[in-house]
Amino acid sequence: MAPRTADEVLAWLSAGRITPAEALVHLQRLDGASASGAAPDESHDERRRQLDAAMAELDGLIGLAPVKELVRELVAYVEIQRRRAAEQLSTEPMALHMIFKGNPGTGKTTVARLLGRMFHAMGVLPRGHLVECERADLVGEYIGHTAQRTREQIRKALGGVLFIDEAYALARGGEKDFGKEAIDTLVKAMEDYKDQLIVILAGYPAEMDYFLLANPGLRSRFPIHMHFPDYTPEELFRIAERMCQERQYRLAPAAALRLRRLLEERGKAVPDGGNARFVRNVIERAVRRQAVRLVRRRRLTRDDLVTLEAADVAEVAYG
Amino acid sequence: MKRCVILGQPNAGKTLFALQFALYLGVLETRMAFAEARGERCEREVRVARAIADMTSDEPHHTRQLQSLLLELPAGKGRRAFELVDTSGLVDGIHPDPSIRLAMAQTLSTAREAHVILHMIDAAAVGRTRGGPAVGEVDAQVAEFGRTRGGYLILANKMDLPEARHGLARLRQDLRGHPIVPISALHRQGFGEVKAFVWRHL
Repeated sequence: MAPRTADEVLAWLSAGRITPAEALVHLQRLDGASASGAAPDESHDERRRQLDAAMAELDGLIGLAPVKELVRELVAYVEIQRRRAAEQLSTEPMALHMIFKGNPGTGKTTVARLLGRMFHAMGVLPRGHLVECERADLVGEYIGHTAQRTREQIRKALGGVLFIDEAYALARGGEKDFGKEAIDTLVKAMEDYKDQLIVILAGYPAEMDYFLLANPGLRSRFPIHMHFPDYTPEELFRIAERMCQERQYRLAPAAALRLRRLLEERGKAVPDGGNARFVRNVIERAVRRQAVRLVRRRRLTRDDLVTLEAADVAEVAYG
Repeated sequence: MKRCVILGQPNAGKTLFALQFALYLGVLETRMAFAEARGERCEREVRVARAIADMTSDEPHHTRQLQSLLLELPAGKGRRAFELVDTSGLVDGIHPDPSIRLAMAQTLSTAREAHVILHMIDAAAVGRTRGGPAVGEVDAQVAEFGRTRGGYLILANKMDLPEARHGLARLRQDLRGHPIVPISALHRQGFGEVKAFVWRHL
């Protein structure tokens, strides 16, 4: 048995399992491949592991087939650009700013967060964290205030991903609106911090298309467009099952049937309402209703505590 | 920021060297950052001369946490800042005190990311031993570890003591192939060569 990662070596050393001299031997073995003169921030293995973990998490998401494919393309592209750079071949400057189009609850934020982690693992972003903001965080109340507030958000996001939700709202107020100033400040920051920041603009598909039409300069600066399709009722049901599992609940067969029917009805009634947030509300409501149903009972089995019955799901007709 | 880390056995004179080196570079007061093994970090202004009295002693394991000094070297027309990290000593064998083991793990973790490693060996102690290898297991492994890195320099310390002359000869023989600079941290001797080395490798 030998430790497999550098972190493990250090943990074993502090636990008293190995001597410092042995720890050094292990570190040389582990770092040997990656340390060629210069000291890396994190070992190559560690980064590889982080990337694999983030990819696995993405694959684990239900649905989103086109998004997964595009992310895979991006990851491959970044990797190859890096290898080309290592071989002194010419590389294109990587513009990784993105537009996410999709209805609420279709996984935009989740994917943005995963992308941050992947780009960090591949060495594109120094930190890889996600800063979420919206119009209210960027636009100020008087002249000059907007640039200041926007810069504040950019500063927080440096080294990671700045995710602007409902970005089309920045163009809402017309010519004299401060939203324009926010966009200008943003574009400037994207130039200034080329290697430190990835900006993602997200919003409803129709509004985002209009937003890009109204600001033609933005289209070329955000070359990557990801479309998040609405979930099908079947996918929503699988999401519901996953949510139950995470919370250590189980849908009784009758409850499952009821939920399927509910999702299908809603799919027909509200065309763009097919989203995961609705499912979460249904499940959370069911969990509360189950609690009310059980709280007065004298005797409860483990099974009772875990099971959501049809009655719990039934009356949640709205999101 | 570039990092220069000092490794070595307890009581080899790492802390004294770090502070004396700061004085040698003309720094009388500096910010010192202390990173505790549990991950907390605090910074404070210190007067270097005062710190020498407070932070060094003849007893081993006086330093139990990472202590780093912000220093500058002239580079071109400007000055280049770097961090000189003083560490907790590495021992042969498994130390019984968990807090010292944790501090040693922290030391190695820093060493992995350092741009320059200064390996401090007590030449006088080596000079007192007769026969057998000049250095213990851990010093030998630090030297091996250093071989794979860019900037690695062995400092044979305590050259002001009479036994050290013999110790240096033994070190030169046993660690052949590694650069060795004799110094006296106490009297600031041999520091010019160390400064030149650090300057070249940062």
